[in-house]
Amino acid sequence: MNVISRGVRNALRSPLKSGAVIVMLAVSIGLVLAMLVARSSVDAKISEIKATTATGITISPAGVQGGMGGGDALTADQVKTITATPHISSASSTLTDQLGTEDTNLISSLALGNLGQRQMRFEQKTDSAQTMPGGASGDTVPRKAMTPRTTVTGTSNATTIVKSDKLTSGAMINGNSEDLEALVGKTLAEKNNLSVGSTFTAYGKTITVKGIFSNGSVFQDSGIIMPLATVQTLTGQAGAISSVTAAVDSSDNVASVVTALKSALSDKADIVSQQEQAANSVKPLESIANLALTGVIGAAIAGAIIVLLSMIMIVRERRREIGVIKAIGGTNIKVIAQFMTEALTLTIIGGIIGLGLGVAVSGPITQSLVAGSETGGSAATRGQGSPQIRAGSFGGVSAQLRANVTSVTSTITPQIFMSSIGIMLLIAIIGSAVPAWAIARIRPAEVLRSE
Amino acid sequence: MLTVTQLTKTFEAAHGEVRAIHNVSFTVKTGQFASIIGKSGSGKTTLLSLLGALDSPSSGKILVDEIDIARLSGHEQTNYRAHKIGFVFQHYNLIPNLTALENVMLALEFGGVPAHDRIERAIQLLSDVGLSSEEQKRKPGRLSGGQQQRVSIARALANRPAIILADEPTGNLDSETGKKIFDLLHSLSRSENTTILAVTHDLDIAGKTDRTFTLKDGTMLADKR
Repeated sequence: MNVISRGVRNALRSPLKSGAVIVMLAVSIGLVLAMLVARSSVDAKISEIKATTATGITISPAGVQGGMGGGDALTADQVKTITATPHISSASSTLTDQLGTEDTNLISSLALGNLGQRQMRFEQKTDSAQTMPGGASGDTVPRKAMTPRTTVTGTSNATTIVKSDKLTSGAMINGNSEDLEALVGKTLAEKNNLSVGSTFTAYGKTITVKGIFSNGSVFQDSGIIMPLATVQTLTGQAGAISSVTAAVDSSDNVASVVTALKSALSDKADIVSQQEQAANSVKPLESIANLALTGVIGAAIAGAIIVLLSMIMIVRERRREIGVIKAIGGTNIKVIAQFMTEALTLTIIGGIIGLGLGVAVSGPITQSLVAGSETGGSAATRGQGSPQIRAGSFGGVSAQLRANVTSVTSTITPQIFMSSIGIMLLIAIIGSAVPAWAIARIRPAEVLRSE
Repeated sequence: MLTVTQLTKTFEAAHGEVRAIHNVSFTVKTGQFASIIGKSGSGKTTLLSLLGALDSPSSGKILVDEIDIARLSGHEQTNYRAHKIGFVFQHYNLIPNLTALENVMLALEFGGVPAHDRIERAIQLLSDVGLSSEEQKRKPGRLSGGQQQRVSIARALANRPAIILADEPTGNLDSETGKKIFDLLHSLSRSENTTILAVTHDLDIAGKTDRTFTLKDGTMLADKR
């Protein structure tokens, strides 16, 4: 029997006391691991979002935002200038329009609501004083009830708006074609009993439903996506573009590309870098990462305090025993080593249970932290906005950012495990330091005085 | 040979300096069994602490085999306790979660005995003090007071010390068991040629030792041979 085996045996001397200490330590170390996993997973997601989405640039006609304001659409030549700018690897153009009851036989699946009514109040007044399509010249028509409109988006690349896994049935449209076909949002399709192969009318033409999609947003799922050239032709806006989303080859080149575009397009376009959007989107995740770090530190301190108080209690209880060991020739180093082994044993047992606990709960804890942040975070993201959402082009980038923010997957790596074990050992050492000092101060003569 | 010369120990107390031991001098030859008697507070325990290098004197000398233990450093004192001193306590002071055998082996470990020799020596010592092999495997809580004191004596003898210091070794035992323990210590002092210094209140036991020292208020009153 040596110092180590005595320490290990002493650790399990009182099963009830040791059990209580081990349970408390297990919870603390489990929390350390769970918080480390949450922090690591969130950090990885932040890096991923910055790497994948921070290279996008949105170019809109100057003075137009969210379907409001006024200005001229971008032209085909301007789009050529954009795509020819160095470091732009790809570009997707969109033209959005809204279908009123006169333009389509579709019934909008959106409720007008008080916001919609306020936005339409000017048109209502104007409508009542002007000649309406179908009315005789100079005639006034009866004031009609306000109805919500259906947004139609023409795009050169439909996959930038609807990912293939969001297509619930049918197939993608070819954005570069002039076919009279469309992807219809799930909510709108249900409202109008549409399925793949069904037809509806828009701008006096019969359009075939090629696919149904669900992006998880009421607004987006109440809209229609069609090939860009089709929308341009149907709306009589040949070559007009309401928005271009360009991808830059590297996030390092985003700033220089923005400068080049501003120079080339002058005051004809508003240019927004997605780096800012990405930075805003990851703010909730950065808060979680900070919270998780605070959790790691807090749990580690709690663990150290548990070991510290337990060992102080043990040393106080066994003061006489320590005196006896010193009286029969035990050195301070041996006695301290024995008690540190005891602390280490309790910590390791608590650590093994805690690591198991941490593995089990790290996923749910990470998810609940992310979900908790989504309540405020996504609202902030939506509010800061994205002109695209309000412009009716389905807000692809921002929606993707929000989806990314909430799709954090907790992963336990060997590095996290090693960090947890390192923290665990640190807890044992810190927790044993003060008791070790107390042990060194116990004088062997006390054993005789207490006789 | 144990030689104590002009030994004094003072403590600082709230009401001033307290002299626990004052100018105590005596000599005990190797293999002698000596007893120290005196009332509570007379300085017996303090004297035992000083002889066992558990405490350092304020002045004076304690020569054990020509080495002045009063001048030893902390580390040397520990070494001295491990090799030259054996303690027997009134309340036995065995380590509760170690078996009788392991308690003796613990002292052997501190004495620097190689691991493979410890168990054999511990079994021999426990057998010498009258513990069966089954009793040797028991923890102190499952041994009687007399058996625990035997283990304590075996532990004290483990490293063949020059001196065994016993603090009321029979004080916690009934008279019959106390007599057996005393006889055991007496025979060991003869067979092992070990000097034994025992603090006791029992005048019958003190009367049977080779020498008896009487302490009163920290001062040695008489040396009865």
